[in-house]
Amino acid sequence: MPLLRFAAALLAVIVLHSLGVWLVPEFARSIDLFLVLTVIYALGGDTLVGLLVGLVAGLTNDVLTGSLFALHGFVDTLVGYGLARLAQRLVIDRVSGAFLVSGVAAALQQVLLAGLVLLLLPQPELPEPMWIAIRAGGTGLAAAAVLLASRNLRTNLAERRQRKAQRLHLD
Amino acid sequence: MNERRTAWFLVAVLAGQLLLLSIQAPAAEDGGGSNFLESSMLRGVAPLTRGVSSVMAKVRGIGDDWKGREEMAAENEELRRRVAEMELEVMRLSELETEVERLAEALDYSRLSGRSLRVADVVYADHSSWFRTLLLYVGDQPASLNQPVISDDGLVGRVVEVVPHYAKVQLITDRAAAVGAMIRRTRRQGVVRSGPRGLELAFLPQQADVRVGDRVVTSGIDGIYPRGLPVGIVTSVERGQELFYDITLEPAVDFGILDQLYLLQDPTPEATGEVEVGQGDGVATVEEAAAGDAP
Repeated sequence: MPLLRFAAALLAVIVLHSLGVWLVPEFARSIDLFLVLTVIYALGGDTLVGLLVGLVAGLTNDVLTGSLFALHGFVDTLVGYGLARLAQRLVIDRVSGAFLVSGVAAALQQVLLAGLVLLLLPQPELPEPMWIAIRAGGTGLAAAAVLLASRNLRTNLAERRQRKAQRLHLD
Repeated sequence: MNERRTAWFLVAVLAGQLLLLSIQAPAAEDGGGSNFLESSMLRGVAPLTRGVSSVMAKVRGIGDDWKGREEMAAENEELRRRVAEMELEVMRLSELETEVERLAEALDYSRLSGRSLRVADVVYADHSSWFRTLLLYVGDQPASLNQPVISDDGLVGRVVEVVPHYAKVQLITDRAAAVGAMIRRTRRQGVVRSGPRGLELAFLPQQADVRVGDRVVTSGIDGIYPRGLPVGIVTSVERGQELFYDITLEPAVDFGILDQLYLLQDPTPEATGEVEVGQGDGVATVEEAAAGDAP
């Protein structure tokens, strides 16, 4: 079941990413939905899950980018693992905390990517600092929005279940 | 799995990916080469992007249907006028072609442009981000590696990854891409590549005659792109620090509005430039596609 849920989430990310790029040419530059997926899973605190989700999401992102395959895979694996370790030590419960953590993760991802590209490519192109900031903000906002939505959904479902149980109890 | 094992697993996964990256890095200029994992994942992801692209194209089609009748009538009139102009141009060009063929025959010169074009749909285009990408739906007939990709306006790039029905394209604006090119007016040759200021024409010595507004076309020396495809227009010429000019170009192609492109087929002796039909896609000649650049 968790695997199916992850597959559905990845599918949704691919569709949303393609849609975003289709509608707004600067979309891929501003928001990394694959990293959002990694952050959300990694914040659960399970390092293996963070690592694997980062790996799969990063490699999928690599398929849709024109540079070397496994660049995002490598970096997102690291970020997923690192965030999961962080989540084991810190309780990131607030939406603002999730925004901050995912924004920092996005900036860190860009820096790590730039480092890798500098090491591996002869004439690398590096991202502009302004776009790193925009991407960090965009990714942070997206992660915070998803977390808030899922929390509200979970609360609503729990309340509904509780109400149903109470009704059954009265009968 | 405990934390210690997970850490070892992480090291193994990272090492595996580093190995994969270091294998691809030497071939970065060829798009990094192809590997089984990437091809397999591309096979899964590409149909999804195509689905999104076709749904959005339909939505746009519905939007276009709502255009006012007056607007359509005006557009129709404008198109009729342009068709008439083009017919005249075609007549003039066919006369020129006859003349060129006659001269070429006299010089025993074999034509380079006996290539046909195959239409391919753009299913995913990210031209703005750090890593630029273009995914094409090519139909049943697969594309081949290094196959040039052009639009109505000029050169777009070349195929670097092929899976059934789809092809990944390296754009000429990619940092790893390099195109043999020349100034059309003077035939002076250089290399077009992407730099910090955008598309640049490199290795043009300072004694060369080059002006703002000069058209740059492929020179054919790289063995990938045939000669004469429009690449861009010179927008600035400055004296560089070494022996060469710093020349920037405006690409001939607007990468933001690509929806259908052409794959340049290998030349065949029988190629006559006639229209072929393959999975519902039209085929035109190189000259037709590059008509905007006709003298």
